[in-house]
Amino acid sequence: MSLNKEIMATTIEHPDETKAEPELLGLLAEFDNPHALMDASRKVRDAGYNKWDTHTPFPVHGIDAAMGIKWTILPWIVAACGLTGGTIAVGMQYWMNAVDYPFLISGKPLFSIPASIPITFELSVLLAAFGAFLGMLGLNQLPKLYNPMFKSEAFKRATNDRFFISMDSRDPKFSEIDTGEFLKSLNPIHVEEFWSDVESPKLPRNLKLALSLVGVLLIMPPALVAYKRSTVTNTPRIHIIPDMDFQPKLKTQNTTNIFSDGREVRPHIPGTIPRGQFKDDNIPYYYGLKYLPEDQDVIAIAAQDEQKPAEAEKPAAGDQPAADAQAKVDDKLADMPWVTEFPMPVTQKMMERGKERYRIYCSACHGLGGEGDGLVTLRAMDLQQGTWVKPASYHTENVRKLPIGRLYHTITNGVRKMPAYGPQIPPEDRWSIVLYLKALQKSHQVNADEIPDEEKRKLRDTK
Amino acid sequence: MASVASEPIDTTIEVPGKRTPLVTGAHDYGTVTEAVCRLAECKTPKAWFLALGFSAALMGMLFGLVGYLIITGVGVWGNRSPVFWGWPIVNFVFWVGIGHAGTLISAILFLFRQDWRTGINRAAEAMTIFAVVCAGLFPGIHIGRVWLAYWLFPIPNQMSMWPNFRSPLLWDVFAVSTYATVSLLFWYMGMIPDLATLRDRAKGKIQQFAYGLFSLGWNGSSRHWHRYERAYLLLAALATPLVLSVHTIVSFDFAVSQLPGWHTTIFPPYFVAGAVFSGFAMVLTLMIPVRSICGIKDLLTDRHLENMTKVIIATGSMVGYAYAMEFFIAWYGGNRYETFAFINRAFGPYAWAYWIMVTCNVISPQLFWIKKIRTTPWMIFVVCIFVNIGMWFERFVITVTSLSRDFLPSSWGYFKPTIVDVLMLIGSFGLFMTLFLLFCKFLPMVAMAEVKSVMHEPPGHGDYQPDRNDYKSSEEK
Repeated sequence: MSLNKEIMATTIEHPDETKAEPELLGLLAEFDNPHALMDASRKVRDAGYNKWDTHTPFPVHGIDAAMGIKWTILPWIVAACGLTGGTIAVGMQYWMNAVDYPFLISGKPLFSIPASIPITFELSVLLAAFGAFLGMLGLNQLPKLYNPMFKSEAFKRATNDRFFISMDSRDPKFSEIDTGEFLKSLNPIHVEEFWSDVESPKLPRNLKLALSLVGVLLIMPPALVAYKRSTVTNTPRIHIIPDMDFQPKLKTQNTTNIFSDGREVRPHIPGTIPRGQFKDDNIPYYYGLKYLPEDQDVIAIAAQDEQKPAEAEKPAAGDQPAADAQAKVDDKLADMPWVTEFPMPVTQKMMERGKERYRIYCSACHGLGGEGDGLVTLRAMDLQQGTWVKPASYHTENVRKLPIGRLYHTITNGVRKMPAYGPQIPPEDRWSIVLYLKALQKSHQVNADEIPDEEKRKLRDTK
Repeated sequence: MASVASEPIDTTIEVPGKRTPLVTGAHDYGTVTEAVCRLAECKTPKAWFLALGFSAALMGMLFGLVGYLIITGVGVWGNRSPVFWGWPIVNFVFWVGIGHAGTLISAILFLFRQDWRTGINRAAEAMTIFAVVCAGLFPGIHIGRVWLAYWLFPIPNQMSMWPNFRSPLLWDVFAVSTYATVSLLFWYMGMIPDLATLRDRAKGKIQQFAYGLFSLGWNGSSRHWHRYERAYLLLAALATPLVLSVHTIVSFDFAVSQLPGWHTTIFPPYFVAGAVFSGFAMVLTLMIPVRSICGIKDLLTDRHLENMTKVIIATGSMVGYAYAMEFFIAWYGGNRYETFAFINRAFGPYAWAYWIMVTCNVISPQLFWIKKIRTTPWMIFVVCIFVNIGMWFERFVITVTSLSRDFLPSSWGYFKPTIVDVLMLIGSFGLFMTLFLLFCKFLPMVAMAEVKSVMHEPPGHGDYQPDRNDYKSSEEK
């Protein structure tokens, strides 16, 4: 506030320095009907003035010719805007729906003329309308809120019921006395001068303060955004609109007071089978077993597989009972009635499927050839962290002897560190993988006489 | 002044060889200004405050309900399977239709050189914009999660997705928003000279500032008028196809789908005719009381009303023809689903709505063939109220009957609105009336500059009295 007062004080102290001589800007002649104006306009035009104008409360028709106003270029601006709008619309629709985000709807073409007509039309009209409105304002040099003519009381009727001629003093033909006499000869109601302001109009007192306050307030949101974007925080983001982020529903691993046991996840109801889980009609196919043994612990055994200590690791002294338990499980698995023949016809197609699936799911650890040298394994061994159990090679005597049912079981339920793949790979594909695995084993240990002559030749040639 | 006839003229009679004046009474330029500006300058009557209070209360109720809807979800409406486009879309189409009269009067009648439009166009354009505001509200809240409304526009976003430009619903977004923008430009541009008039007459500081700001420093320069008139003509030429396109595209929302009763090619012209029909009815409904209350009967004469009733007969007959043609095509096309849809409309569970529609839209406008009804304001008013009701029911019949009986009989249902539906429709009238009352009070309700340019010219004062013929012949080039 004190600063403002100081500024004001300085302006008051030296009024002469800022005060300029008022300058004559022009003359106004007032008429009371359009016919008189029209006639006068013609005379002003013929007198050779250029910087002059007439001011009327409504568009007086014929005044353009009487004043010698040139045809406006506005239609060209509007046409250019309209064409721009149409081009933008077509380009936008083509690029957005056919290039950047191809949007296939019922097999229709990504871009077609008929479907893009409505928006092209609308955008053309929109831009052309803005062109007409803003072009008109621009060519008229509006908005122009300050105009020295507005100080004339009489001129206020230019928007009501009077008609004016204004002569600009910048016109080369303008001279105060002659032009004034000339205007009087046109029979106006009266003629008056309009002058420039003596002092430049003062700004309202607290405007600077208010403007700087507004400026600070305007800067704050972007500054806050910039700050938040460049820093890290541990607090969760603010959910202004929660959408469906928090849903009042029960999830696994949580507690609830709806059920007496307090669990949100519900156990299986005894004597029921979940939808799609009926497997007893094809035991070999689903379990890799000839029949389900009396001992119904198969599932339980499978679940315990993962607790087995690694073969490579020497069990610590304290783990002896666990190791014993594992040995027991191994024995049990060995005694199971595993199938030894595929429970479906074996085809070339199945072999190819198995190869493909093997490469997707198994090769990362087991290696393409099944030697237990997949990329993940190599990397893990490289790190030497001791937590990795190297997968067994398929080509050891032990593994070669395993019945195919047992292999199927291993894929389904996992073994040692290997997780269960049952939930990810459908039974059909698991059997395909087993088939391919058997082929891999065969490829590593085969009698020479079992190889067809043609293949032998090939092998010799490659050597 | 003395030569101007001051005895009342019956403007509804055509006198051969004589043009009926567009402005009656002893008016010159100054008194036209006075008649229009007086409304903005006089002391505000109590009735205005009462009306505004009532409308604003309804508007408050509307916004309250919108808030309730946003917090709770669209389930507060009666939209249930299979009718997911219930009242909100009916209201949308109803209001957009009403919004067609203003720009039609401003643009199409301007291009056809119908000078009588000058008395009515400003208020009609204002009505257009307010109706489009009401219309825009409904689809805006109908999308459910309103904070995602920006998905409607092709704005780059974190999902790297763009809207589907082959969907009529997206065309609708562009059509309605373009229409609203262009109507607003047209309205505002037309108002600039009149705002300057208000500025030059304003006494208070606030009025001087506000009118001064919005009149953009207009000084009536003929060089400005020249470009202004070009711009106005161009805008009219642009707005004319735009007006026709908007309801065409609204009708695509229905016609491009495959639902029986919607999937018809007659929809675009039929919707446009219906829109003009309802828009003119709404203009008359508003202007008949307003011209009496505001005392602008001289500018808005009985002839204006009569001309508009003629537009209503024409468009009302088109709508009636469309109803008949839909039935004919349903039979002639031999599509059993189509046939069923239309028989169900007229004789099914919504027969009551269908026959309200037919009575109000087909029969009531035909009354305007009788000159007595056409020239008696209160009778026009009553008929127009019927037309307004009928046109709302038309949209109800189209939207609800088709949806409630789709291809799968097991999903058929009967649509019942909830109290929220009903109150929102009433509330939208509150919003509309609030805006219109504010307009009546603060803005020039009649396009003064345009009226002055078509009214009879006053004789010159002083010693210069030009002969009109003389001045015409001396016009160079």
